[in-house]
Amino acid sequence: MPLLEINDVSVSFGDTEVLSGITLELESKQLLAVLGASGAGKSTLMRLIAGFDSVGAGSIVLDGETLSDTSKTVAPEKRSIGIVPQDSALFPHLNVGQNIGFGLSALSKEAKAERVRELLRLIRMEEFASRMPQELSGGQVQRVALARALAPKPKLVLLDEPFSALDAELRGQLREEVRQVLRAEGATAVLVTHDQEEALSLADRVAVLREGKIIQVGSPSEIYNSPADVGIATFLGESVLVDGKVSGGKILTDLGSLSALNNVAEGATGVVAIRSENFYLQPNPTGDSEVVGRVFFGHDALVEVQTPKLRIRARSNGPFAPEVGMRVTVWVRGAVNFYPSS
Amino acid sequence: MKRPPIAAVALGLLAALASLIPIGYLLLRLFEGFEAALAELARARTLELLLNTIGLTVSVSLTALAIGAVQAWLTVRTNLPLAPVFAVLATLPLAIPSYVLALGYVSVFPSFSGFWAAWFTLSLATSPYVFLALSAALISSNFAAEEVARSLGKNRWHVIQSVTWPQVRPAAFASVLLVALYTLSEFGAIAILRFDTFTRAIYNAYRGSFDRTSAAALALVLVALTLVVIYFERRYRGDRWQAPTAAGRKRRIDLGRARILAAFGLGIIGLFGAGVPLVSLIGWSVNQTGFDLLRLGELVASSLAVAIAAGVVIGIFALAISVWNLRYSSRLSGAVDLTAWAAHALPAVVVALALVYFGANLVPGIYQSIWLLLLGYLILFLPNALGLVGTPIALVPRSIEEVARSQGLSKNAALTKVVLPIALPGILAGVALASLTVLKELPATLLLRPNELDTLATELWQATEVLAYSQAAPYALALIIIAGVPALALNAQARKLISEVS
Repeated sequence: MPLLEINDVSVSFGDTEVLSGITLELESKQLLAVLGASGAGKSTLMRLIAGFDSVGAGSIVLDGETLSDTSKTVAPEKRSIGIVPQDSALFPHLNVGQNIGFGLSALSKEAKAERVRELLRLIRMEEFASRMPQELSGGQVQRVALARALAPKPKLVLLDEPFSALDAELRGQLREEVRQVLRAEGATAVLVTHDQEEALSLADRVAVLREGKIIQVGSPSEIYNSPADVGIATFLGESVLVDGKVSGGKILTDLGSLSALNNVAEGATGVVAIRSENFYLQPNPTGDSEVVGRVFFGHDALVEVQTPKLRIRARSNGPFAPEVGMRVTVWVRGAVNFYPSS
Repeated sequence: MKRPPIAAVALGLLAALASLIPIGYLLLRLFEGFEAALAELARARTLELLLNTIGLTVSVSLTALAIGAVQAWLTVRTNLPLAPVFAVLATLPLAIPSYVLALGYVSVFPSFSGFWAAWFTLSLATSPYVFLALSAALISSNFAAEEVARSLGKNRWHVIQSVTWPQVRPAAFASVLLVALYTLSEFGAIAILRFDTFTRAIYNAYRGSFDRTSAAALALVLVALTLVVIYFERRYRGDRWQAPTAAGRKRRIDLGRARILAAFGLGIIGLFGAGVPLVSLIGWSVNQTGFDLLRLGELVASSLAVAIAAGVVIGIFALAISVWNLRYSSRLSGAVDLTAWAAHALPAVVVALALVYFGANLVPGIYQSIWLLLLGYLILFLPNALGLVGTPIALVPRSIEEVARSQGLSKNAALTKVVLPIALPGILAGVALASLTVLKELPATLLLRPNELDTLATELWQATEVLAYSQAAPYALALIIIAGVPALALNAQARKLISEVS
């Protein structure tokens, strides 16, 4: 039985339907990422799960207990759901240890101190117990916020864009730490984010939310390799869209005849989405395409190529990326996703 | 370091000297007549005054805190219907001088007097200070932290105690201090409601019997009480931490059906704080027989003339000190700025008493002249004006001044041609507020004015002394209209709050 079940949940604020027909399941000890652009309804979904807002329709069930439906909304403090808000919201008047221990009032003094120590160890901040929140760095603040949410051993933890205030390097580092901490605690978590890299690298399952609806749910590789529609394909990493027509089981495009990952109907027209890393640029003095731009990142480079009919962006291995002005032949490696036009 | 303009230094030093007069007077009294003072204080009457004053100050402070806190929480944090309307209603008593509020009640209920009347009136009159401070603190406190606390198993009431209150506590203590100081130095309302505290006793001792020794001894006790209040605020307000900027959407707490009840409660408070007194004053004014409109016109004109003159004087001194201390700061300018604050929190009765002594003994000819009155206003209202006039100057970015310098302006020219013009609207608003405060001032005006000078406030006072309340009503209304309402409209804190709430 899944730990968290969200059954056909809808909610409206005034006349606008913010979420409609959301259905999701999450197994124990798994991490679900809800991925969506801002305004997709991510925060609203979090608030419904946490119990700060009531559902308009449907139900939310945690560990067999119905928390929200149209007739009741269990109070947030009775849900055993920890939250890590976007700005972390540490209590400014309490030190690190007191912040972490805040939700442990049911424990004895000794048990509480022990649990706080355990979490401080887990986030590798043992020596920071008596620091005040304003004396911490951004990454430390988020780690304390996570420890505070985990301290009472909640059934579920909600992470709301927890890394968005941090710079890129710190974000990658903290992401790894958060994964380890959640695993060590055996926690079940829902993460909402607009950052596809974060969702793909951290989650066991990813749900893509758009305009209040779940568009696709799957493992990170399923979502990345087989996006359900063109929108998701372009949202998750860079894709080039090329018109194509199905003929003899292959798709005819301006980049040649490509094989499709999905089932295709003979004669259908539509677009194929090709990831920038699926292009191979073969240097060829007599090739029909020319490199017209290049952005170098070190480990790889994004190369802009003018083919006879198209302009594409290809990701190329850093050391081997062709220079501007070189002539190349463009190959597409592997199969592509085909989206028939409706 | 460029030398500051000589005029600024001269005016600043003069203002600092003036501000030291009340303290100097008190010290002089303390050393000169220590035994006489002790004998005076040993009277049973002093103990009664002490108990009255402390009892009133404590009860008013706690009541104002309760009223202001409930108003702030309901209007800022919950889905109270018509929240902006209730925010305006909660600040409305600011437009009504407390003695006018007292008059509004006593004119309808002649037996409205004594402790409970004073407690009731002053609690309503001072609650806006708590309301404004607490609602600003609530707005800038972290809402997400409250939700985290809920998710950690705390119920709503526990969250208010353990998360919300600690975040607003410094603001609450600061505003309660303000209320306590206000109550300690309040004179008009207490006198009209015939409740004996130190201010009324000091005034009567001096006015009734010209007993300066007794007045000074009581003044010393009153100042000691004031210092105690300031000490307690410092001691117990708790650490100040930088309020983290509140992020995220600000959700209002759903009160459910209780919201109607809450709105009803706030409406009742508003009715007592502004509605009832206004209606009674309007009623008396309309049903006036033989009302002398010309006299009212004269009083308005003389009140405005004195207030504007005082505002300009205070503004000039405040500007001089601000420019000196903000743009040419030195140890001396800092000391002058600090000294100007010395008279802050001294009850107006005490300042006036000091100036009477100063005028009668040290500078003959100034006593009972308009100059002594202006000096009194300067000492009383310079501290507030320093904040009002200094802030717009401090807000002009240094970089703008530096650009002006790089364009070939001298430091003084950059100041007069760039900094001051940019800050001018703020400075004028500060001067206007100082004038409006002067307009409402009662005890110092009564003690220091020249005999031939009558203002709205003094005329109102004289009518109440002979219990001619209905006669005083038109003057009270005029004060609300020309002083109270504009002061509320210029109150930056109130304006900011109301725009945030709507």
